[in-house]
Amino acid sequence: MSVWVSAMLALALAAGQQNPFANFLNDAGKKSDAKPDEAVRYLYPEQVSVPAGKLTPVELHFEVKSGLHINSHAPKTKDLIPTTITLPTDAGLKLSGVEFPAGKDFLLPVAGAPGGGDHLSVYTGDFTVRGMMTAARGEHLVQAKLRYQACDNRACMPPHTIPVVLTVTAQ
Amino acid sequence: MRDKKFFVAGLSMVAFVMIVAAGWANWANRRHMAEMQAQREMQPMVMGDMPGMGQGSGASGDAGEMVSPMVGRQAANFTLTDVSGKKVSLADYKGKAVQLNFWATWCAPCKIETPWLAELEKQYKPKGFEILGVSFDDLDMNDAAKLKSETADIARSAQQLGVNYPVLLDGDAISKQYGDPAVFPTSFFVNRQGKIVAATMGLTSKDDLENNIKKALGTGE
Repeated sequence: MSVWVSAMLALALAAGQQNPFANFLNDAGKKSDAKPDEAVRYLYPEQVSVPAGKLTPVELHFEVKSGLHINSHAPKTKDLIPTTITLPTDAGLKLSGVEFPAGKDFLLPVAGAPGGGDHLSVYTGDFTVRGMMTAARGEHLVQAKLRYQACDNRACMPPHTIPVVLTVTAQ
Repeated sequence: MRDKKFFVAGLSMVAFVMIVAAGWANWANRRHMAEMQAQREMQPMVMGDMPGMGQGSGASGDAGEMVSPMVGRQAANFTLTDVSGKKVSLADYKGKAVQLNFWATWCAPCKIETPWLAELEKQYKPKGFEILGVSFDDLDMNDAAKLKSETADIARSAQQLGVNYPVLLDGDAISKQYGDPAVFPTSFFVNRQGKIVAATMGLTSKDDLENNIKKALGTGE
């Protein structure tokens, strides 16, 4: 019993030094190849296992940098650039029924602008793109691309594309 | 013996609570630090990553105030085509105060600023002030039909915003000469001698814009 207590105390000390969710955070967000100055980064998954030949739901998780917003997949006006995802054609893998989340209604908080300008439909923080995947048996390296256009409350950056890389293992 | 068992069990319970509490506190602390870091990184990302530009200021109302290394330099001459197909050179405006306004139709803050610019241009034109809008919208230069359609979209957007000054296409072509602006709107205020006397990056106030126009005209501080 005393050995168990010692082990518990050692664990308690270790817990004070280390984030208990460190592994989760590493897997979720810190192994990305995204550059630190990118407005959006792909979080996870980096690897997916699916049953071969079977339609399987897949979720791709992204994060918009704090203080920024990007247009949703369905901006309110035609001239705004929507967030889109493109997949390379791979004979052994197909992603269908891609669904983007609904955007949040957003109005630029600008003094002196009547109405603050146009209402926008945006993503902030984390957002998830869902789809259905079918993969032939084997391993597939998926190199998709997410295109977005980011702004803060006072300035916009040109549209940008980031890689979305994941390995799909179909068994 | 029984007391000893109770003691060990109690100690175990305390140890368990310590693990949870220490872990939770550490996680909360790290999360707080990460949020603080994100806040610190956010502003430079939008307002300060513009190559050739100085420190951007916060979004607290003075976003457009900045120290740019472009200020004090002669404005580089260029020739671009406007939305009507006419060639326009900065040199055509010799002897006038000029604001070069870099914008794009997809830029929501530009849509707030542009009507202010239209009003200010009207107000200060009799004193020798002109604005050249420079669009940074992508253009399909190798596809005549698409280029025509894209040009029409830019012209329509400018018209809807009340623009009454020339709108030039293909801002990317002169980007390097003006420090590769990475955010929009960006403006350079050029005085009658062709020197850049002020610059703004990001949406600023109408008053700030007016002060910079006065600087370009040589009537402001």
